[in-house]
Amino acid sequence: MRNLVTGVKSPPSGRSGGLQKEKLSVKAMGFVKILLRTLFLLGMGYVMLYPILFALSGAFKARVDVYDPTVIWLPKHYSMEAMNLAMKSLKFWDALKQTLIILIPSVCLQMISTLMAGYAFARFKFRERGILFAGLIFTIIVPVQNLIVPLYANFQSFDMFGLGYLYSLFSGSSLPNLLNTPFPFYLMAAFGMGIRSGLYIFIMRQFFRNMPPELEEAALIDGCGSVRTFIRVMLPNVKPAIVTVLVFSVVWYWNDYYQAAMFLMDNQTLSVNLTTLNGMLDITAGNIGSLTSQDVMLLRDGVLECGCLLVMLPLLIMYILLQRQFTESIERTGIVG
Amino acid sequence: MSRKKSGVGRGMTFAARRAIAGRLFLLPWIIGFVYFFLIPFIQGIVYTLNKLSFTANGVALDFVGFANYKKLISDLDFLKVLANALIEMFPRVIIIVFFSLFVALILRGEYRGRTLARAVFFLPVIISSGVVITVLQENVMGTNLSGKESAYLFQAASFETLLSGIGLSDQMLAAFTDIINRLFDLSWKSGVQILLLLAAVNNIPRSHYEAAVIEGATEWEKFWKITFPTVSPTLLVTVIYTVIDSFTDYSNSVMRMIEEKLGLGYYEYSSTMAFVYFLCVLVIIGVVGGLISRKVFYQSE
Repeated sequence: MRNLVTGVKSPPSGRSGGLQKEKLSVKAMGFVKILLRTLFLLGMGYVMLYPILFALSGAFKARVDVYDPTVIWLPKHYSMEAMNLAMKSLKFWDALKQTLIILIPSVCLQMISTLMAGYAFARFKFRERGILFAGLIFTIIVPVQNLIVPLYANFQSFDMFGLGYLYSLFSGSSLPNLLNTPFPFYLMAAFGMGIRSGLYIFIMRQFFRNMPPELEEAALIDGCGSVRTFIRVMLPNVKPAIVTVLVFSVVWYWNDYYQAAMFLMDNQTLSVNLTTLNGMLDITAGNIGSLTSQDVMLLRDGVLECGCLLVMLPLLIMYILLQRQFTESIERTGIVG
Repeated sequence: MSRKKSGVGRGMTFAARRAIAGRLFLLPWIIGFVYFFLIPFIQGIVYTLNKLSFTANGVALDFVGFANYKKLISDLDFLKVLANALIEMFPRVIIIVFFSLFVALILRGEYRGRTLARAVFFLPVIISSGVVITVLQENVMGTNLSGKESAYLFQAASFETLLSGIGLSDQMLAAFTDIINRLFDLSWKSGVQILLLLAAVNNIPRSHYEAAVIEGATEWEKFWKITFPTVSPTLLVTVIYTVIDSFTDYSNSVMRMIEEKLGLGYYEYSSTMAFVYFLCVLVIIGVVGGLISRKVFYQSE
């Protein structure tokens, strides 16, 4: 590919003198291109990293440095005061626990359901497939905000095709209330309606469609059933798609603030607590008592930056660990329309 | 295997058996689609025609006809925010899509440090699904409570001094600063789009370019005659994704308003807003998609 980006190989020309000149100019062109690309990448890299660097720089700044005009990036005095306040205001450990309780089972269930649905859409022919696929596209377009009030009502008195009614008959109580439990997340993930499940099913379908049909045919001729073919033959071959969707899924469950804010009440996830951090800071500071409003004002930015860092950090660590597989798998996924 | 032994699939053609297996694979999704999507979607539309109150036994509906819609039409705040959001969407989508295509073209191919470059460019996909970046921008960089305003305009400010040195007027300066700040914003919103387009660009067969070079095509011609048509299906997907993404984003002012109303307990009114907004966006997606898909070039045809 090199010649496509760094320069064009000169077309064959008759005279050797012209050829040499052309080669030289092509070389110079290539050099300019590399230079421009490097400059662009450096500049954009700065823009991309800027918020993180900015937050890092402010997070550990001591109070005395806030108004110091000579302090731009590196603080002169370091302090953990803002970090401690942020941890307290975010209720970091409780919120982290709650986030993980929701995230881990939901992501696993979502992976299973989207893989199955993607496989069905890609590899089986049946009459209703077309209309169901149109339904899938529709689920991608409709935002969850349109569904949230009915979903809220339905989870408050949960009766999925009479299942909740059966439960209430046996337990003798009214319809079960699933709000403030992780079950709304689990159920929606398990039935292919988790956060952005539609998009993942679409990605999976694209990927399954690109697999050679001979693979499946061979397995079927050898007497493998559909389920065994799926698990033994197809799944090991779609690893790149699985990595891509896994990373997306973790990221979006982690960053989801909307469904969590609706379905949960007292024990919130990290992202939700981040949206309310600004207000929570005043309450925490009030509880501590030793801080004046002047102190809080000086610390506010630092605390918010710490909050952002704390919420980003686990994802950043995951990204650094999975970065290579992720970028490579994405290039191979070939998500095209 | 197990199905064969239990006799379910006996006596059927292979195709019929496959069709049943396919439906079984899709069954969980179909249940979810009906119960967690279709029913709530219809309920949501019904809610817009009613007054809602939550009781211990569930939701109580009180039919009010089109009162919510009438209220919406006279709600100037909402209409203003809605109009602004819809108008802003166009330059936003165009800039994001072209920026993503540009970056994807730059990131493709082999060169030293490409792993690092890609890792950095995919960073927005990882962290900026909204909340973190919005909190950073609005609460920290945006407010000038503690003189941080200069930090928000950090890049622009240094540009500004540079440009005013050249002798540009204040209006031009403001325009420049705006563009630069916007670029910063948008580059953070184009992570997934870069990803989509990079995958598409990498799938273009090299032989196309080689043939073009032999025919004496310039870089400019190669872009418009090969790259652009080949990635056009993905461009369509990218445009639609960007529209959807920008109207569900945490920083979107209409969504904020809808959520605010919901938080205050105006359930039916917030449903109405969400439904109207959705219809607007659906129309936009329909028109834009329709226009673009005419120009889209499919290789297999």
